[in-house]
Amino acid sequence: MSISTPGGPERRPTVVSTGKKPAAGRPAAGAKATGAKAGPNKSGSAQRAGGGKGPRKPITPVKVSQGRSWGPIALFVAVGVLATSIIGFGAWATFKGSQSWQDKAAGIDGIVNYRKTDPESLNYESHQAGKIEYKYSPPVGGAHNNAWQRCLGDVYDAPIASEHAVHSLEHGAVWLTYRPDLPAADVEKLASVIRGNDFMLMSPYEGLDAAVSIQAWGYQLKVDSADDPRIKEFATTLAQNASIEPGVPCSSGNYTTGTGTEPRELAPPTGG
Amino acid sequence: MPTATQEAPPAERNGTDLHRSPRLLRYLTLVMAAVLLLGVGWTAATLTANRTPGDESAEAGFARDMSRHHAQAVEMAMIAYAKGQDPAIRQLGYDMALTQQAQIGHMQRWLQEWDLLPTGTRPAMEWMPDAVPVGPDGLMPGMATREEITQLHEAQGAAVDQLFVKLMIKHHLGGVHMADGLLKVSDRAEVVRMAEAMKQTQQKEINELRRMGLADG
Repeated sequence: MSISTPGGPERRPTVVSTGKKPAAGRPAAGAKATGAKAGPNKSGSAQRAGGGKGPRKPITPVKVSQGRSWGPIALFVAVGVLATSIIGFGAWATFKGSQSWQDKAAGIDGIVNYRKTDPESLNYESHQAGKIEYKYSPPVGGAHNNAWQRCLGDVYDAPIASEHAVHSLEHGAVWLTYRPDLPAADVEKLASVIRGNDFMLMSPYEGLDAAVSIQAWGYQLKVDSADDPRIKEFATTLAQNASIEPGVPCSSGNYTTGTGTEPRELAPPTGG
Repeated sequence: MPTATQEAPPAERNGTDLHRSPRLLRYLTLVMAAVLLLGVGWTAATLTANRTPGDESAEAGFARDMSRHHAQAVEMAMIAYAKGQDPAIRQLGYDMALTQQAQIGHMQRWLQEWDLLPTGTRPAMEWMPDAVPVGPDGLMPGMATREEITQLHEAQGAAVDQLFVKLMIKHHLGGVHMADGLLKVSDRAEVVRMAEAMKQTQQKEINELRRMGLADG
């Protein structure tokens, strides 16, 4: 289309004027004339114009005045729509894909992010033996014992020591706690979220101010019903991701599986 | 005749020419059709080539479940390394723990790259071609029960070696079974490569464990 020849400008008017009417109306009386003229330049177009449309000549002139070539218009529109959808899909995929677990966590309605609101409460110097006072109940991080509570989808049926559970949180565990007077059916619903999943554990918790509270290191969500879908959302989003020692196991090592809120020292104490 | 287009003033070209020249229109139409086809082809190709395994894919299921399967092997191998009586058992425990923990890291990295969470929403093992659902205890094929793990923790002396050999042969058989399941349904290069390596290593280790079991017994 872009090859230019010296004769171009001069030739154009003739070609265009003869071709003009048939152009709008498609195959037309002029088609043959155009074909004849264009013939010497390009045989393909001549053939098409003359051969294909020739026989129908008599009928077409009516359409000529009506203009619009819908075929090409439809094509333009189709290309436009396609381009828009490709760009749109790309943008959407990029946006979705770039959603980190932190973004997903922030999207959980009612979640409290102590990493933002109170990062100091999560700081600690070293492992600490014995009872520890926690600022939040249930605790969401901070100092803890040397041993951690095993968090291999463990469902403990009695309260456990926060000093061990907080160490599990540090390893990326999600700790689901519930009010001890919760009906057994509700406890079973909660257990079905936890059981069988690495980096999760669950236990009753005395004095809880909500039916259920679920926590990860620096994160907490309290809800009033065991049926709340946000419980599972919290668990799957934060398990392992919330670890502040990425790659550390929950299931093996210096863990305890005992219950009772009194912390236990395991193995030979390693100092502090 | 394409000449005309280039030298015509833009206004005229857009407004008038289009209606005047059937050939010009035809070219444009052809070009647009070509663009359209290319667009469709490109989109399809991109979508297929760049598609990473989805949340419910066999690859994601394998990465998640094998991570948990491996985690138990690491626990048992660390006990064997720390308490095994036969130096060969301690050596094997050391190898297994390091290898499988590193493989957990690989598998977790895949999930990150695929923008997936480490925890799936479907039950374990559902991705397997002939899936046998796991029981309420969440134990996948070959995995030791809580009680067996406790026994291993509490065992002393030669009992550690014997129990470790017994539990780990069973564990590895389950692992090989899971790797086979993945290999049946996946053509994702990095996952297939890892599953094949796991299968070969664990089969060799099964032979070694059996030999040790015979020697001990």
